[in-house]
Amino acid sequence: MEKKLSSIAKSLKPSPIQQLSLLAQRGNAVNLAEGFPDFPAPPHIKAAALSAITSDFNQYRHVQGICSLLVDKMKQMHGLDVDPLTDIAICCGQTEAFAATMFAIINPGDEVILFEPSFETYGTCISMAGGIPVYVALDPPYWTLDEVKLLDAFTAKTKALVLNSPHNPTGKVFNMGELEIIAEYCRTKDCIAITDEVYEHIIYDNEPHISLASLPGMQNRTIITSSLSKTYSVTGWRVGWAIGPSCIASAIRNIHTKVTDSAPAPFQEAALTALRSPPEYYISLRAEYESKRDFVFKLLCQVGFQVEFKPLGSFFIFAALPETCKLTDVEFVEELIKEAGVVAVPGCGFFHTKHDYHNRYIRFAFCKDDATLTSAARKMQQLVDASGRLRFL
Amino acid sequence: MLLPSCIRPSFRITTTTTFYKHSSHWRHHITPINHSRRLSVPTFINSASISTASSTTVEDHQPSVMAQDGSTPHHPLQVAKRLEKFKTTIFTQMSSLAIEHGAINLGQGFPNFDGPDFVKDVAIQAIKDGKNQYARGFGVPDLNSAIAARFHKDTGLTVDPEKEITVTSGCTEAIAATILGLINPGDEVIVFAPFYDSYEATLSMAGAKITCITLRPPDFSLPIEELKSKVSKNTRAILMNTPHNPTGKMFTREELDQIASLCIENDVLVFSDEVYDKLSFEMDHISIASLPGMYERTVTLNSLGKTFSLTGWKIGWAIAPTHLIWGVKQAHSYLTFATSTPMQYAAAAALRAPDSYYEELRKDYKAKKEILVEGLKSVGFNVYPSSGTYFVVVDHTPFGLPNDVAFCEYLIKEVGVVAIPTSVFYLDPSEGKNLVRFTFCKDEETLRSAVGRMKERLARK
Repeated sequence: MEKKLSSIAKSLKPSPIQQLSLLAQRGNAVNLAEGFPDFPAPPHIKAAALSAITSDFNQYRHVQGICSLLVDKMKQMHGLDVDPLTDIAICCGQTEAFAATMFAIINPGDEVILFEPSFETYGTCISMAGGIPVYVALDPPYWTLDEVKLLDAFTAKTKALVLNSPHNPTGKVFNMGELEIIAEYCRTKDCIAITDEVYEHIIYDNEPHISLASLPGMQNRTIITSSLSKTYSVTGWRVGWAIGPSCIASAIRNIHTKVTDSAPAPFQEAALTALRSPPEYYISLRAEYESKRDFVFKLLCQVGFQVEFKPLGSFFIFAALPETCKLTDVEFVEELIKEAGVVAVPGCGFFHTKHDYHNRYIRFAFCKDDATLTSAARKMQQLVDASGRLRFL
Repeated sequence: MLLPSCIRPSFRITTTTTFYKHSSHWRHHITPINHSRRLSVPTFINSASISTASSTTVEDHQPSVMAQDGSTPHHPLQVAKRLEKFKTTIFTQMSSLAIEHGAINLGQGFPNFDGPDFVKDVAIQAIKDGKNQYARGFGVPDLNSAIAARFHKDTGLTVDPEKEITVTSGCTEAIAATILGLINPGDEVIVFAPFYDSYEATLSMAGAKITCITLRPPDFSLPIEELKSKVSKNTRAILMNTPHNPTGKMFTREELDQIASLCIENDVLVFSDEVYDKLSFEMDHISIASLPGMYERTVTLNSLGKTFSLTGWKIGWAIAPTHLIWGVKQAHSYLTFATSTPMQYAAAAALRAPDSYYEELRKDYKAKKEILVEGLKSVGFNVYPSSGTYFVVVDHTPFGLPNDVAFCEYLIKEVGVVAIPTSVFYLDPSEGKNLVRFTFCKDEETLRSAVGRMKERLARK
């Protein structure tokens, strides 16, 4: 019966992350692995969802109001003019927005450029649509863009490029210089850009979040994908969107209709409230995450990690194992779970081509309650040697 | 452990020879209410380059000329070839028209009444209790257990909730994940027309070769000789739907036995869409998975929405043996990753509803069906028997309109009632031209008003 599987399904392996999750669950470990909060979602948004369910917003629907609010945001944040009737597709999370976009634009054999380390879903999604992911390595320790590497990645088959900024797993925020390089190539090579901007509001040190779509010549070749999940701490609600030129947005909408038909109705209603959150909400979101970032950054430095790069966005720190550590990332995390009762994600899952550093990084998530972070700190600090460094680092 | 780099699937690019086109009537008769209705293509692309499905060339990028300000004037943002034909669905189009004309909507298949409080309350509590983050990708454990328990009750089959069930965003996604997870480009899949419109779309996304067998009035029974002639060792799967949308037909034990023996003989999979299984009126619903030799080759698909009048919650699932569920699970994880968390908790409570809930449901729907069917008959439609679902298909030709689309437009504009033209459910639209679909998932007053309008304003020719 295995031969009945599609070739894509056969090529997929269970992620090493899943196995570690099981190990963590068994030991009741402090979870700094998974990228979702363990603190409650904002009360005003939950209330909106409750109200929607009670008021019978429970059948298939498309809430056009979301599109209008997104149009305002795109104008405010990026100076972009977007048509609410034609340029937006509401989907079940950014995941579906991305999947539908891939099915909308990829023909079998098309190549899609990705920057690595990269969130593991993109490449597989591209393959599912018949495309070929092509990885361009960002250079450690600061994950800088190497223009030569990018140029080399383009071929006659390149159809699109995916940009995730702020970036998972590194926390990098692509700056204007880098965006200009990427935009230049997209224009001259006539390439479509798909951005994943789910961490757009989780950005620090007054670093601006710039959308690639706002650069000259980019709006009409870029599809922006994002969602409610990270900004409003409701990763389980599955409301996201794709914004792009109307012919593509239209195709994405049509595909979405065939793949899931509708994003959950009451949460679409609640999205209206979420998207109307006052400026104070975003300011305090950033401030809280920034202080969590600083706490975890300090902790990791203290216990002996090599963290040269302090993230400017997202809620992840991609910490390097010091050279003295003989363990691989997977082995280290296993130790961390067993000895310290803390979980993190081995970085190898984010790399798709061999580098001499692909198993030297650990991703820590700090989208957790202060109590959780403090608990993780305490547990790790119990295992340090005389020099203050984690025993097995 | 590295993920495989640059997965290069080694498949052939083949064409699907029978591609469904929307009836050309739509383009002339319906004025788009909003721009999003059509797949609009930049005008500088002449129609010759928008090829039909038989073309397999990868689009050439037009060379782009840099303007002075660094922007490119125009470039062909090409949408994938296989999807160029997918326009806004018929349901959305008809609903928009309905609103425009103040028509009573017996077209789109969702209730105008809401789901039960005991289910909504659990969702509300789940949100309050903070269950708002990612659920386990293939389902909240409690829901998986509830699904397994319900399936056991319905079919007698025991399945492992952790290994043989994947929860998805509605049955629509379960279908998409099943097809994308188990079908390779070029694989032959048999479908029965008329069929729910996502089937064709999803099969073509997977690059499948669609073979269609038409179910015909008056009883839409399975043409077994035709099926025998079309099933071969090259057939990968049969995608079936029982109780059947749009006709309301339910596959009998005999028909299922025949399908089963052909599948076993030729090693064919079955994807069985059973979303309306609890809306079975004239006979008992039978899951093909429960027939001897069939569980190991069947993916059974279902959802919460129809049974519990919560179509907007998007909770569905696929049940299959481990060697098949793997593909579904993988595809699902890259389509939507996880399903809405609070609703899953509520779904678990729903599936544990006592028998009395289902009895009430059937009783309510039976009463509604009677209002509609009696009404349609008295108005002069030729009404075909419907054993299940909340749909009824009728022959509209006594009213003298040339086809189903024209009839539906007339019905909206002149009578103020919406029905769905069935031609959209066929690979060859002309097969549906005499038939339209009405739904009775509306409250009784709405149904009576609709019947009233038709009695008043619809005249036989």
